[in-house]
Amino acid sequence: MKKIYIVITLLSIFGLVLSSCSTGPAAAKDKLAEILARGTLVVSTDPAYPPQSQLVEGGQRAATTKCASDQHTSSELTGFDIDTAIAIAGKLGVEACFVTPDWTLITAGNWSNRWDISIGSMTITPERMTKLYFTQPYYTTPAAFFVNNANTTYAQPSDLDGKKIGGATGTTYDFYLAGTLQIPGETINLVVKNAQFVGYETDLNALQDLALGDGVRLDAVMTAQPTGAGAIKDGMPLKQLGEPVFFEYLAGAVDKTSTPDPVPFLKKVSEVIQGLNSDGTLLQLSQKYYGIDLTTAAASFDLAALNQWP
Amino acid sequence: MAVETMKFPGQPGSDPDLDMCHALLAQQRRERLIRTTKIGVVWVILIIILTILLLQFNFSPAYVYQHYGFVLAGLPLTIGISLASILAATVLALLGAVSKLSNNSIAQGIAGLYVSLVRGTPLLVQIFIIYNGLPQIGTALIAKGMPQIGHLFILTAIQSGILALSLNYGAYMTEIFRAGIQSISGGQREAAESIGMNRVQILRRITLPQAVRVIIPDIANQFIAMQKDSALVSFMGIWEMTYRANRFARQDSKFMEMFVIAALLYWLLTIVSSWFEGLLEKRMRHAYER
Repeated sequence: MKKIYIVITLLSIFGLVLSSCSTGPAAAKDKLAEILARGTLVVSTDPAYPPQSQLVEGGQRAATTKCASDQHTSSELTGFDIDTAIAIAGKLGVEACFVTPDWTLITAGNWSNRWDISIGSMTITPERMTKLYFTQPYYTTPAAFFVNNANTTYAQPSDLDGKKIGGATGTTYDFYLAGTLQIPGETINLVVKNAQFVGYETDLNALQDLALGDGVRLDAVMTAQPTGAGAIKDGMPLKQLGEPVFFEYLAGAVDKTSTPDPVPFLKKVSEVIQGLNSDGTLLQLSQKYYGIDLTTAAASFDLAALNQWP
Repeated sequence: MAVETMKFPGQPGSDPDLDMCHALLAQQRRERLIRTTKIGVVWVILIIILTILLLQFNFSPAYVYQHYGFVLAGLPLTIGISLASILAATVLALLGAVSKLSNNSIAQGIAGLYVSLVRGTPLLVQIFIIYNGLPQIGTALIAKGMPQIGHLFILTAIQSGILALSLNYGAYMTEIFRAGIQSISGGQREAAESIGMNRVQILRRITLPQAVRVIIPDIANQFIAMQKDSALVSFMGIWEMTYRANRFARQDSKFMEMFVIAALLYWLLTIVSSWFEGLLEKRMRHAYER
């Protein structure tokens, strides 16, 4: 009796090992060739941040699709990032398929080749550069100063020297006002000196305090230009002061441990993004989702200065 | 006895004891009904109070009505993952329980370690290990030149979720199955041994059919618990109910509405599953009632 069980167990283990010995697809020589052969670009996105990325209610999976069963097609998601990914895939000549792991898994690297690229408004930071390669940025988040509508004394950001400026604690705006901000590939121009920084938990709270009145609690707020513009559209009595003072660059990211070699793929995607910038596609998308031009400044970012690969 | 006072059985007044028995039973039934109704009324009042409280804080029932379909679309995935996991967990638990009760030290050792390890680590940690940790080993194996085995270690999100849930619940169910099997009295086993049955025959013909009384309700119970634990796989990006509620809520910032939908759907799922479990148990009780 016992012998039968031993034989069955051994046979099943043997069968399992044998079944995995199937000859897989011929090894591509780099990631770009693999993607072109496969016909799909697997993009990761976290649909938690409208209008960058969000779920489409009632979105149906496309009928004819090359996407695997656990990947989602472009009809099920929408947003600025999604449309950019679709445009990039279109230029490469493949179909865009989406997977939706948690954001922390995307920024942690070590994707195990589960997806090819992340197009999720990821800011280029030195810590992330240790795990991920970045493409040419496809849009920016400009940082700007906002003052109360009633104010007439300030004409440009340098007028704010020594004034009370509010912002969210621990953000790049905090570091800018403290004079310690470093962004790879960009020289920061510290236009405002000796500001009295007033910290808040989030940008919106700072804007609300500014809306109370000119100089009542704050003289100005430093935050992302889209955030401020959104607050103004919602009816807050604020106005932007002058031009943006620095840009945060948001780019696509590829895992450094991707196999096979991801560098040609990265170069190609950066090329495609520059192309989308010059033919106006990105500008169109930016106007559609944000109402302002966030993309032109990204084209002038010098990716080579990041020294990502030898 | 005079003929006029003679009573025939079945006539009211013919058997005072039987009449009293019937009256008592009817009274008990009435009291049970009244108590159930009172509890039902308390439930309804509590739910109404909760709803009124929610409505005070900007809760929008119209939004719930418009968008519940989106969360509902995740129901098949939730049920599918739970079903697949409970089936695998049952197989694992049976193997584990039998191993733990066997004479073979190797089997006992493996089963004991499995139960102790898996019960001793949180389910979320186990999911992380399977989804993130195993690929690390897999990539190393591929680099060393064993791509077939290496790729076995890199599981998709759904595979990882089902594997983690099966292993986790299998460990807990092992203990219950073992207790169930052990509860079948030793006297039966001795009697079976004395007529010449070997261990496998005893297991198959005597112990397991009776242990099923303990095993099946536990499987149903764990299935109900697993439906909620399946929400943990949402972080890997599987579009089941929790994921849909979570991500969709951000669009209009209607978190309370979407999560109330998800909670209600899980609750409904539990109620339906419990009802089925009740039916199953009633069916099994037939064998043991007069």
